[in-house]
Amino acid sequence: MKHLTEQQIVLHYYGDALDTVQVDAHLAACAECKEKFDQLKGVLALVEPPLVPDLHESFEQRTWLRLQDKLPLRPKARFTFTWFPRWALATAIAVLMIGSFVAGRFWPRQPAQPQEAASNPQRVVLVAVGDHLERSQMLLVEIMNAGAGTGTTFSQEQKQARELLDANRLYRVSAQKTGDPEVAQMLDSLERVLAEVANSPSDMVSQDLPVVQRQIQSQDLLFKIRVLGTKVRQEEKPAARNSQNQRQL
Amino acid sequence: MEGTDAAVVARVLAGDRDAYRVLVERHSRGIYSVIYRMTGNPEDTEEILQETFLRAYNSLGKFELRSSFSTWLYRIAVNRTLDFLNAKKMTDTYQISESPDAEENPREIQLPSQAPGQDRLLLSAEIKDKVAAALKRLTAAERVAFTLRHVEGKSIEEICQALDLKTDAAKNTIFRAVQKLRQQLAPLVGAAQ
Repeated sequence: MKHLTEQQIVLHYYGDALDTVQVDAHLAACAECKEKFDQLKGVLALVEPPLVPDLHESFEQRTWLRLQDKLPLRPKARFTFTWFPRWALATAIAVLMIGSFVAGRFWPRQPAQPQEAASNPQRVVLVAVGDHLERSQMLLVEIMNAGAGTGTTFSQEQKQARELLDANRLYRVSAQKTGDPEVAQMLDSLERVLAEVANSPSDMVSQDLPVVQRQIQSQDLLFKIRVLGTKVRQEEKPAARNSQNQRQL
Repeated sequence: MEGTDAAVVARVLAGDRDAYRVLVERHSRGIYSVIYRMTGNPEDTEEILQETFLRAYNSLGKFELRSSFSTWLYRIAVNRTLDFLNAKKMTDTYQISESPDAEENPREIQLPSQAPGQDRLLLSAEIKDKVAAALKRLTAAERVAFTLRHVEGKSIEEICQALDLKTDAAKNTIFRAVQKLRQQLAPLVGAAQ
């Protein structure tokens, strides 16, 4: 008789198994699997939800008072690209930036206007790269926290790494073109790790995971991403303030 | 009358910042409970709650007025908690072993005498501590997905939507969490009964 897998037993416990009737029938006939199932029930019965502390009756008002001062006057009105694939968005930004750079080289020069002096291609790259860094950071944290030998694959993370890899190449090229070596160098390090994850075999957990984890650690990659992320956020604020001021004028 | 959530959102988007207070007062208690069940810590929960409402306010322009504000807010809260736990895990990685005995020898449980009362209470407290420690050892994603499934009773589909995961990834994450808990807590099952 073929026994149930551990995963089938867990899925069945939560009612998520696709073949519930078959699993039920097997459990009725197989003492070994039934014992495993009962043990799982015993373990999960120990995990009770933590009791939420009694909140003061003015909790809602206090929450609002703490929040109030942090809120800007208006929520950000942002155009969303949810219907637009990320790689296409990254390509469009890169093409625009390279196009602008090339056009700038051949366009007849005008006397500099005060506002033109404020525009900074490095800042454009930084802002565009912010979301990419956040997603990459999440992926790397997942990889760092994963334990080897759990018997599961990392196909989802690998798919994510492949998507990020495409975007990363475009951002790195853009950063090199706009003369931002710090960003370009960091994206280069990130690209090597993403390529490693994306191109690993599907059973990465047991084979290549420790290698990738060491690579991330030895380069302080997470720390560097976080520092650059902070820089991006700081760059976004003055940019947003400038545009608001211009609108008010 | 304060109106539906969608009506209040429309007022906030039109420039009435103080109208956001209605949404905060309507949903803060429920969202607090959700976050607390994932963190188990009041200070962390307060911090994430503030971040959740701040993030929701700043993203209000993206909210579809036809959808449910509470569901949308719930997703933000879950993801903020995930980010928070991820960040915390990175700083706590080398500080977690607060119960080194359990780590080195999880099977060594001091069984109390059969007498009810004090011993029983001590055992119950010990089990709670060990369960809390086992939950802390999960990755942030495992902890959040497991809590959503096991404690909040969310379906796999709802978890996929909240965490932006594929079905297999969500099932895998929950499975990994259960396996880790099982390894840590199986020796306690007999003692608890």
